[in-house]
Amino acid sequence: MDDARRGLSTDQIADTMNTSSFVRIWSLSLSILLGAALPSSVQAGSSTRLLESDSFGQVRIRYAHKPLIVHIWGLTCGPCLEELPRWGEFEKLHPDMNLVLIQADDAPIDAVRSALDHAALGSVESWSVPSELDEFSRARIDPSWNGEMPRTLLIAADGSVTTVRGVADPVQIARWLTLQSVGTK
Amino acid sequence: MQHHTEAESSSCIGTGLECATAVTPAFDAHNNLWLAWVAGGAVSVARSTDLGRKFEHATVIGSYGALMDGGADAKPQLAIDVRGRAVLAYGVFKDKAYNAEVLISTSASIWAKDGPAFTVPRSLSLDPASQRFPTLAFNPDGRLFATWLDKRTVALARQNGQTQAGAALAYAWSDDAGKTFIADTVAEDNTCECCRLALAFDPKHQPVIAYRAIFSGHERDHAVIRFGETGRALPAQRVAEDHWVIDGCPHHGPSVAVTTDGTIHAAWFTEGSARQGLFYARSTDHGQRFSEPKGIGTIAQQPGRASLLAMGDSIRLAWKEFDGKRVLIKEQLSTDAGRHWSIERIIGETHHAADHPVLIAHGREAYLSWMTHDEGYQLIKLQTP
Repeated sequence: MDDARRGLSTDQIADTMNTSSFVRIWSLSLSILLGAALPSSVQAGSSTRLLESDSFGQVRIRYAHKPLIVHIWGLTCGPCLEELPRWGEFEKLHPDMNLVLIQADDAPIDAVRSALDHAALGSVESWSVPSELDEFSRARIDPSWNGEMPRTLLIAADGSVTTVRGVADPVQIARWLTLQSVGTK
Repeated sequence: MQHHTEAESSSCIGTGLECATAVTPAFDAHNNLWLAWVAGGAVSVARSTDLGRKFEHATVIGSYGALMDGGADAKPQLAIDVRGRAVLAYGVFKDKAYNAEVLISTSASIWAKDGPAFTVPRSLSLDPASQRFPTLAFNPDGRLFATWLDKRTVALARQNGQTQAGAALAYAWSDDAGKTFIADTVAEDNTCECCRLALAFDPKHQPVIAYRAIFSGHERDHAVIRFGETGRALPAQRVAEDHWVIDGCPHHGPSVAVTTDGTIHAAWFTEGSARQGLFYARSTDHGQRFSEPKGIGTIAQQPGRASLLAMGDSIRLAWKEFDGKRVLIKEQLSTDAGRHWSIERIIGETHHAADHPVLIAHGREAYLSWMTHDEGYQLIKLQTP
């Protein structure tokens, strides 16, 4: 019975994994604090920010009347991770497009940043959800979204949305961009 | 304020049930309700002697922080046999590439005087390949059956310079309530790698698994796998030709149940070219043919996350909907093995985040087991036919 655990509280369970749990809660809290301290209209730099309830609405306002591509991906979604570097390549070919990335798995933000850097997307505006998205938070991004990933929203200047479900075809995205006569940042 | 923010939903910090987003119920033979849940990066269990009003013996079984695979389609699994032996299973990411492993922890007696003694979690399978989404249950003979998604054949294909989409469906049996597993093997390749599995037992006490397969390399439609009397998997049988072509993760697994007449009932979500939404079908010939899929719920309200429960020849189907302001759990009931169904009725309602519904039987009663942000854990007794 050496290996048995009888009625232990969280604090008493001392395995190595606890460290990462602590770091995660700490980094989440810190990011929330930092997020609160920043003006909400701040332009995204090279860091990934936590998606708050009004974040996506502000993104839409910022890109109102301009073409915008929103790519939703998840760190535990295999097809998403395979696709991500192709978005990095696409961004290099189309540096003038407006691209916003949303990481939608319950995942640590440092791991999200690392995956974006690896895909050469470190300088693209990116957001990550602080916990698994529920129906309410999904609807704020896309009311018809059932939660599958990856998902790409091609939002035209007039606000009309073309949705790409699953891994996107770069040729299709490029064609859409041409039709929008390429909005500038 | 009408809606909580994403930040608020994550502000519940701790491993307690009140912070849980994914909860799994199980009854023992002494009328106790046990829950397994994920919160604060840890998996825990607790007992209720009053049908879910109060809980005691809350125990953290393992704590993994960000490595916990705690999504709502990846609920921890808890099975208890008639002798009070319990098995808990769940997925944990084991490296930066998000490879996972399935861990199990067992209790020789959850009725022990000084509390249930759960073992230190260990890997269910000896195979080092990535594994997720365990599902397990005791069959009526007391044999434990476990199934999960497994990347071993995908890894092998890669070594041989080939690519194999998705994952594989693996399974194992245990004759000692999870201490040891035998016949750890792959039943089918080409399964969706990110959707939960569903498990029931047929009248011969053999497993029936429903899962999202990948047909023709790209159609993420559903299939069932039955087992022969030797306990070996039979070839998969397709439930419906939805033709959902997606190179992506639906994050949405099916439900399955078998009534005592042997009818197999399946419910699943699809966005295929043939149909979109939540569907139900039944097979009276051991899965060879399924009935024409029947649409469930209100399509504009994202019906999904089905839970089927068979009790004798009665079958219940519960599912989740979202009307923009409320999350609803609805139910339909059939007392003749799915030939005829009642009209739908609402059995749960909340205004903030909510777990997927789980139907569970205890004695002659059926319950909805449901965790919501606002109301906490609820065990809701359902009307009897």
